[in-house]
Amino acid sequence: MLDNLLVAAYLLPTLFGLLLVTPFGKSAGDSLAGRFEILSTERGRITAGLQMIVFFGFAVSAQTFWISSKISEGGNFCTSSSVFSCDDLLGNNDLNVDPLFGLSWGMLGMMTFAFLLFMVLVIKNEPDGEYTERFITFGTLITGVGILVILLLVSYEIQESKICLYCTTAHIANVAALIGFLRLRKLYDDKSAWKGKSN
Amino acid sequence: MQGKLTRDDNAGAVGSAALSVASLFFIAIMIIAFTANPVAIGTDVGERAPDVEGKAYNGTSWVEFDFESYFDNSWEEGNISGQWVAIEFMDTDCPYCQQTADEYGQWANTYSANNPNWNGPHVNFLASATELDIPGHETSRAEIQDFRAEYGHNFPYIDDIDQDNMKEWGIPGTPTYFLIQPDGIIAWVSDDSNEDLEQAIVRLTPQEGA
Repeated sequence: MLDNLLVAAYLLPTLFGLLLVTPFGKSAGDSLAGRFEILSTERGRITAGLQMIVFFGFAVSAQTFWISSKISEGGNFCTSSSVFSCDDLLGNNDLNVDPLFGLSWGMLGMMTFAFLLFMVLVIKNEPDGEYTERFITFGTLITGVGILVILLLVSYEIQESKICLYCTTAHIANVAALIGFLRLRKLYDDKSAWKGKSN
Repeated sequence: MQGKLTRDDNAGAVGSAALSVASLFFIAIMIIAFTANPVAIGTDVGERAPDVEGKAYNGTSWVEFDFESYFDNSWEEGNISGQWVAIEFMDTDCPYCQQTADEYGQWANTYSANNPNWNGPHVNFLASATELDIPGHETSRAEIQDFRAEYGHNFPYIDDIDQDNMKEWGIPGTPTYFLIQPDGIIAWVSDDSNEDLEQAIVRLTPQEGA
């Protein structure tokens, strides 16, 4: 029960970040703009949403890496006889590492989201800087490749007939980040909207 | 001497973001390192034993073998109630495996909870039967059943004719023996040792009154 509540602590901010990067997040952004000025522009809303998404993507990846480590130690974290049993997937030594380098999926997620966070912070702090366009392209490519990884991991879940909620939250964060980078790309291509002070 | 300096107007944003993310990553890794103590999977002493998969012959039929079910992760060192596991990687056509089969069967009876003279924990004996890539070593499930019956063994024989388990465990030759703690950690490997399995059981398992 507690482990499901902990998933919510990662999932809810990720979903709120997703809301901010979509056009549906305008009213939520406007209502918070008095307190957080960055939310008063569309670019600010998207970068703030992306920052939230990739930060919690990083955090949930770190949590899955920690769970894998605890299981290898001999402990258990979210063992369940139901379909929602992350221990059966994160504790499976054949499935919890990538097939190329043998790195834990959790560690790979941490590295990926950390790099995405770095790029989002640079874009947010220097929106007209020389790295912006390059980082938007990188972010789109990385999260796009992430979709292929998600498909592989979902195939593992189908094979084992188990669902790992922590992994699913990280997958949602990747998809949400892809949406955010695509929205950022569209906005960047429209120079007037990108430079717009408010919308 | 003149140095060549380049101005980067974005250095502040990039440097600050890099520092923030690196700090975050470092903190996360430190938290994981201090709160978890992962054990590597492998076949050296102190490592967690890899899985053994396949069908096992229990004396009546070939059934799915569940190696994990032999272990209790909550076992603590010195606890006499935990059941240990001894596993032999063998080939029914290997002469040395045949020579030691009687002895292995006797140990299975001696280091058992059914033996009133043994004051240590129950040791579950297992055999993983493979087919070595040597002419004349062709085997089958029927041959494994006959071998088991011939030596009067009463423990499970796992079908590893395809050598999957042997490769997973990195077995250099047969017979190779492992003694595994009740928590699944390898306690002794015959390859690294001058003592035999029996001596290892007596030395490593906790015994009442010892």
